[in-house]
Amino acid sequence: MSASALPSPALPETVTAARIGIGGPVGSGKTALIERLIPALQARGVDLAVVTNDLVTKEDAERLRRSGLIDPARVEAVEAGACPHTVIREDPTLNIAAGDDLEAKFPGLQLLIFESGGDNLASTFSLDLVDWWIFVIDVAGGDDIPRKRGPGVLRCDLLVINKVDLAPHVGVDLPGMLAEAARVRGAKPVAATNARSGEGVEAVADAICRAVLFAP
Amino acid sequence: MRVIQRVLGNRSEAAMAKRLHHLEHHGAVDVLRVASADIARRRLRATTQGGEEVALALPRDQILFDGAVLVLEDHHALIARVGAERWLRLVPASIPDALELGYHAGNLHWRVRFDGGAILVALEGPAEDYLVRLGALVTEGRVAHSVDAAEAG
Repeated sequence: MSASALPSPALPETVTAARIGIGGPVGSGKTALIERLIPALQARGVDLAVVTNDLVTKEDAERLRRSGLIDPARVEAVEAGACPHTVIREDPTLNIAAGDDLEAKFPGLQLLIFESGGDNLASTFSLDLVDWWIFVIDVAGGDDIPRKRGPGVLRCDLLVINKVDLAPHVGVDLPGMLAEAARVRGAKPVAATNARSGEGVEAVADAICRAVLFAP
Repeated sequence: MRVIQRVLGNRSEAAMAKRLHHLEHHGAVDVLRVASADIARRRLRATTQGGEEVALALPRDQILFDGAVLVLEDHHALIARVGAERWLRLVPASIPDALELGYHAGNLHWRVRFDGGAILVALEGPAEDYLVRLGALVTEGRVAHSVDAAEAG
């Protein structure tokens, strides 16, 4: 049973907010996943804010601000201006500053989500920026993606394979893709989602709450 | 679950060492083992050697280190022990091989250090995952490789 169907047990109080990253290739569904995660996490009593990263626009931040899912003031945008991985790995200063700003504006904040700009399979997050991170790929990108062993696929704390509903339409063997992902990642977890319908999103919210908010 | 929100100090500090020494005599010092790849995390949940589940939620300006004192009470203490970093030692056979190896290390954003004619790559996963990225440099024997590894205390 999903946690959202149960009264949420109180999360331990902490002085600072947890920080997580959500990265992955362009069009894999990072923003759509966040749009589903926001209500799922709010239902668990999580006080949250989001920092988005785009190359030269604030497109993803504007999309979230207009969504009605979250107070627009709780969404900040970072314009990477160059390779998106630069501002989440080599020099995450802009993102750290945006996170600090949100923590200062919203005392009691429990969770900050950093959405990376769309990148390639080599994209990873600095642990100076986040405590734990998700990498999102999708079935329409091809079922050979896990086998390519990109650093993002291998090193993330949770690999999300999104758009599972498209598998039969793009000739992808979903069970095989999930098995391959589990094989290359060893003991690290893999989740299957359809962010448009919400399928699998509760499990992702549970994983976040358990890993960095210390839910039972 | 115990939530630890700051590092209290270093076990080698005189005041800490004296209290820890006393607790060790009573078998009251527990150890939290942390993999070197996780050392930069401010948040972590883990089980200590003594079997206690703990959560770390450190402020952004603090990081874990080997010997960090996480709990210091009258009858109980918890110390962090960090596993030694594992390094993949790569030795190119020639200057052209060294140039090619340097290109790959930079292009793959590996964390490296140098030791004479070797380049050392910090391992955050199996060495095979790194070697396969070097392709012909490894399969043709143009780069020799070995893993330097040692577990801290």
